[in-house]
Order: sequence, then C-alpha cells, then structure tokens
Amino acid sequence: MKNITLGQYIPLDSFFHRLDPRSKICAMVAMMIAVFIPAGFIGYALIGAILIMCVFISRLQVDFIIKAMKPMIFMMIFLFVVNIFVVKSGTLLVSFWIFNIYSGAIIETLYIVIRLLLMIMITTLLTATTKPMDLTLGLEHLMGPLEKIKVPTHDIAMMVALALRFIPTLIEEADRILKAQASRGVDLENGTLREKINAILSLIVPMFVSCFQRADDLADAMEARGYAVGAPRVRYKKLAFTAGDYIVIIGANLVLLAVIAIKIWVIK
Amino acid sequence: MSICFEKLSHEYSPGTPFAFLALKDINLTFAEGKMTAIIGATGSGKTTLVQHLNGLLLPTEGRVTVNDHVIEAGKKYPKIKDLRKGVGLVFQFAENQLFEETIIKDVSFGPKNFGATEEEARERAVRSLKIVGITEDMFEKSPLELSGGQKRRVAIAGILAMRPRILVLDEPTAGLDPQGAANMMELFKRINKENGITVLIVTHNMEHVLDYCDEVVVLGKGRLLMQTDISTFFENEEYMKKAGIDPPSIVRFKRFLKEKGLELPADVLSIEELAAEIAGRYRR
Amino acid sequence: MKAIEVRNLDFSYDKERMVVDKATFSIEKGTYTTIIGHNGSGKSTIAKLLLGLLEKAGGEIYIDGMELTLENLPKIRNRIGIVFQNPDNQFIGSTVRDDIAFGLENHCVPQEQMDGIIEEYAARVNMSDFLESEPTKLSGGQKQRVAIASVLAMNLNIIVFDEATSMLDPSGKRDINRLIKQLHKEREITIISITHDIEEVAQSDNVIVVENGRIAMTGTPKEIFRNEKVMVKMQLDIPFVYKVKKELQKKGIRVSDTLSMERMAEEICQSVLKN
Repeated sequence: MKNITLGQYIPLDSFFHRLDPRSKICAMVAMMIAVFIPAGFIGYALIGAILIMCVFISRLQVDFIIKAMKPMIFMMIFLFVVNIFVVKSGTLLVSFWIFNIYSGAIIETLYIVIRLLLMIMITTLLTATTKPMDLTLGLEHLMGPLEKIKVPTHDIAMMVALALRFIPTLIEEADRILKAQASRGVDLENGTLREKINAILSLIVPMFVSCFQRADDLADAMEARGYAVGAPRVRYKKLAFTAGDYIVIIGANLVLLAVIAIKIWVIK
Repeated sequence: MSICFEKLSHEYSPGTPFAFLALKDINLTFAEGKMTAIIGATGSGKTTLVQHLNGLLLPTEGRVTVNDHVIEAGKKYPKIKDLRKGVGLVFQFAENQLFEETIIKDVSFGPKNFGATEEEARERAVRSLKIVGITEDMFEKSPLELSGGQKRRVAIAGILAMRPRILVLDEPTAGLDPQGAANMMELFKRINKENGITVLIVTHNMEHVLDYCDEVVVLGKGRLLMQTDISTFFENEEYMKKAGIDPPSIVRFKRFLKEKGLELPADVLSIEELAAEIAGRYRR
Repeated sequence: MKAIEVRNLDFSYDKERMVVDKATFSIEKGTYTTIIGHNGSGKSTIAKLLLGLLEKAGGEIYIDGMELTLENLPKIRNRIGIVFQNPDNQFIGSTVRDDIAFGLENHCVPQEQMDGIIEEYAARVNMSDFLESEPTKLSGGQKQRVAIASVLAMNLNIIVFDEATSMLDPSGKRDINRLIKQLHKEREITIISITHDIEEVAQSDNVIVVENGRIAMTGTPKEIFRNEKVMVKMQLDIPFVYKVKKELQKKGIRVSDTLSMERMAEEICQSVLKN
C-alpha cells in the first residue's frame, strides 16, 4: 500500500513546489479543460509538449510520472478492445475471423488514451508538487465565496486536513489488526461465505472501534488547545501570490486559448 | 518443540527507495519450556523477529524452524495455518483485536478458525478465560464493557484457547498500572511453569525481566547482541552496558553501595537476599 | 496562591456509579503534584474535568481563582493545558510546525509572531531539527515533546500530564521526565502529572491518591509512602528504597527515611564499615 505513486507528494525544491496552491489548482483546471477540447493530435502535441516542459521544471523524475501512468495500461487495452467492436468508421485496415479493425477505432482509442495520459500528468504535477495540507488550504480559499451561502468551508477543510493527517496512522493500524487476526487463524482467501464474512468483520469492527477512540481523543486534544467550531481563528499559513503564480495562471490559460484556436481554425 | 533461527535476515520493501534491513544474520535457538525476554531499544528488530515465528513475516534470507516447520527465504510455505495453530502471538495492545458481541464468542474465534467444533471451542474458551481470571458471570458480556486490563486478559485468553505450545507476547504490560502489570507477568509465569509452554516476551521493563524470566536475548540495530541466562546478564556490568539498558533498581542500588565501599556478591538479585546480606555484614 | 481549587467535585457517566465522588483538593502555584491510583480509579476523568472537557455533575472548580463555567471556558483554556497519553491521537498538524501552530491559531496569536514562537518552543523541547517532519517519521517520545511544546507555546500557567509517558519506551520516558523536571525547576508553571511511575512520584512536591473516584490521601511523597497500610491495602507500588527499608526492618536494622537510593546506600555503608 505504501508504493502508490499516484497522488503522492514528492518533497523537492522547484519553481512549481514554491507556487501558491491556488494558482496551481486554477492552472490545472484550465489545462484539464484544454485536454477535453477535441483539437486533434496537434492540440494534444501542444499540451503534451508544455506538460513535459513542466515536468522538467518541477524536477520530478521522469520514471516517477511513468510509474503513475502504469495502472492505466489495463484500462487502455480494455478501451482498445471495446473500440474495435464498436467503432466502424474510417477505412478497414485488417480483417480476420470475426474482427474488422477500422482506422477509426485506432484513432478513437489513441485519442482517449492520450487524453487520459495527459490528465494523469496534470494531476500528478499538482499532487507531487503540493503538500496535501496546502492543497486543502488552497481549495478552502478558492471555495471561500461559498461561505456566503452558508457552506462551512473552513470546517470542511479542517475535516479533510485531519483525514489526510490520519491516513498513514490508520494504514499502520490496519496492518497491525490484520496481522493480529491472522495470528488467530483468520484466512481471507479460503473458507465458506459465512467464515469469510466473519473474517472481514474481525478486521472492520476493531478498525471502527479504534477510529472512534482516536476521534474521541483527537476531539479532546483539539478542544483543550482552544479549538471551537465557529470561533474566530488566525490562520498560520498565509497564501500569497508571486509573479510566478501569475505567469502560471496566464500561461495555462494561453494554452487553453491556443487549443481553442486550433480547434476553430486548424481542425475545422 | 524448538525454535531456531539460522542466518536469518529480513528486509522491508526490498528493491524500493523505502527498503530497510530490519534483521541481519540472526543465529538463535530458543530453549523449550523456558521463559525468555527479548529486549533492545525501539527499532532494534524485536517485533520483526517475533513476527517470523508464526509466518506473519517471511525471512528474506536464511531460515527459521518452529516445531516441525521449516520456513526458508524465497519459498512459499504451504502449511502456514498449521504453524500458526502452534504459536500464539499476542500483539501489543492486544485488546484492539476484540470484535465479537460477547467475550466467550471472541475467545472461541481462534479455535474455530483452526477447525475446532462449536462445543470444543466453547469449552476451550471457558478454560482459557478461567486461566486469565475472567469469571463466568462476565462471559456473555460485550468485550467493550470491560476495563482496559480486563480487555487485554480476554485477548490473551483468545490466544490461549488456540492451545499453542509457544506463547509470544509483544510488550504485554504496556499501559497497565504496576499492580496490573505484575499480575499479568505472574499469569505468564504460571502458564509457563504449569503447562510447560515456551514463553517469549518482548519488553522494556527490566524489573520484569529480572523477576520473571529465565533467559534474555538482546537485539541491537537488527543484530543479535547476546543471549544469556538472567543472572549472568544482571551480574555483569559489561553485559548491561553492551545492551544499553537501564538496570533494575537492585542493580543500581548495589552500584551505589559499591561506590561507598560495600561490595555485595554479584548473585544477590532480590531484595530479600540483599537485606540478608546487609544484615550479615552488620553482625560481623 | 492556589493554582487549582476543587470542591466536592462529582461526575458520573450513567448516574449509577460515581466516577468522581466528592473530590476536594487544592494545588499551590508553581508546585509539582502527582496523582496516583489504579487504572479506572477516576484520575484521568479528574484531569478532563479540570480542562472542562467533561461536564461536571456537581461541585466547583477554580483555575487560577477563576471559576470554571461554560462562559469562562475560553479563558480557562488560556490558563491550563494538557498532554495526553497517546502520542498519535494528539498530533493534530501534518508537521511539527503545523502542530505547534494549531494552538496559536485558536488563541488568535497575530500571524507575524507565530514563526518566532514556534521556533522558540521547538528549541525548548529540542525538536528544532524536526520542524518540517511528519508524525509518522517521529518516535513516540518525540511526538510527546511536540505535544509539550504545543502546550507551552500557548503561554499557559498550568500543565496537566495525563500518563504522558505510559506509552513510551525507556528512553522516551527519560526524555519527558527530564523535561518535566526542568519545567518544574523554572517554577513558572504549575505541573500536575497523573502517573504510575513511582520514581516520578518520589520526585514531586505533593501526591494525591485517588481510589474509586475519591481522594484517598494527600501529602508529600514521604508522608504517602510512610503510610504503608494504605499503600498495601490499595495495592499501590512503593519506591524501591522503601521496599529495602521494610526488608531491613524485618532483620532488625533501622535506616532513616529517605527517597534517595544514594543516601540510603551511604547510610548503610557508614554503619557497616563502622562495625
């Protein structure tokens, strides 16, 4: 469970790491929209080139990005197989037994695959260069206007932040309980349905008990340190835009505009 | 019924940037029927070592032999469940593993997993609960109603009901009050003496090691530093120094006496012996 | 001047059994008080009541002369803080820096001052090199040191330690006990420590013994340990030197009352070597 690269933060010092989370989120949204504009291979090539440049600026290792894409391979093969049966446009390329592969199928699949890969690159760029807590903070600020319609954005952000904080602790705990029950003969693979249900219960119930216990303790600790829902607080982390942030937001929107332009004037 | 580690090493997440060699070249044999303490600083590999005893962790190098089971590095072991039946492993804060609606059901859970019938499991559960001092009127209660110390006793009963020949305890007294901890240690000693069960205890409490154990195994940074009987260990200043432990009170007290000019024999390791020895000197 | 005054404090979860039963005690400013008793005797409940984390059923609590009421709660929490037993469950921030900041945020400390305060208190508990570390990368002892820094940073006068060392290994225990002793030396903070560590009790100024929710005894450590009957009846641990003293008495040897191993060893040696 500890080797998942998708969504993992990589502590490095780069231009992207230093950016305000808000600008990174805005830029991500702009790039995502750009990816969804059907601007053909020219559009994708442009986005791809910009993203590859960004990967180098972020100092992330290229194989880290590739690793993040790996889980998509199965998805791609699946899509390809489905498309072979569904898409019957373009010219017939190969035909054997019951299979008729049209050029349209290949192009459709490539489009989807490229789109997925670009999206993974964009999200990985965001999550790998932004601490989860900063991401929450950025989202909280961006959702700020929602406070006006009584959405408790601060409380939501606090909840998300605490959840993120406790994920590693709970993974360790789950591992311990798994081992403790395995020592009592719990076998998740073999046995009748009833035995399996009981085996799963033996993991879930202790996890619940422990989570509630932790939540209780945590609530006490937070209250003792003066936290009260709805009470005024001073934020420690101040978000501040720098020149770099404006460049990134403008840059991402320029890419979006360029892709729209390609769609309108080049692809037609 | 012996336990034997041969050239055993264990590496966590090998081949990743998180790789960590937790045990290095361990050669170790535990004598049958004894009560052995496994000590060492946090991160010295104690927990990793004991999790090899019932196949929760498999060696990445070398092998471990437990009873008739031989587990070698790099090979899948098909009879892991059979191995687990004979080795009861009690985790740190074992009360966290309770999950059934009633105490008796929870204690029967282990035996049933290992193939005991409903009646057999219940009978064993009753006996185990009696051993750990849980009275019959509590059997049908929910484990959540118990106090911390009682919960832990129920969890231990759950392991004893499996009828293991080897009982492994990972810091079984952590978080208990001194009286509760002493009662717990006496319980293990009784199980060890009366039933001839081999007991291994991972602990930081040197008073417990001195008062209850027969042997001590010292780990440091994943290596075996020494294995010796209790009196030899606490009679030798160099041994305790090498192990990096805080000696028990009696050893510290004897150090003060020696500093002030009164040297007592090394084998004086209980308060009664100490008082007798001092009284003897007064009369001379 | 009293830091804490408690009169006839009652508490119960279910109205059947009193968890805290007419507890009355007071604690002087700047002193170091330990509270002992079995698990389940009500010690931790008393601690939570002092912080206003549980609502009392009856009686009065005064913190720094101010009565603990619902309206006073924010003010009370500017005076008294607590370090709990489980190092993981009280680590609120994602890094050491954020965790210390959490209390400051709640106490509305001006943002410009926070960095200075965080660094000062991290240095005091010797955690300056770990400011950006995440909790999973820290040992139990280190996490408790951060918890202490977080409480100290809020600039309080009273700190309660609720079995703060019971889940730590010997080196972690030593660390925290040393820190508590150092705080006590500075005399600015009133320390209340709920503990099972009898050697820690021996070092405190005053001891409160709790049994079944009642205050069974209060006094200096010597007074408490001398009261052998009660200690035995309650099955409470006594320090090693008292065990030796008792055993020597059986052999007809009298030694004077001391809590220090060194002093007792000296006395024994002097009389033996004189003979």
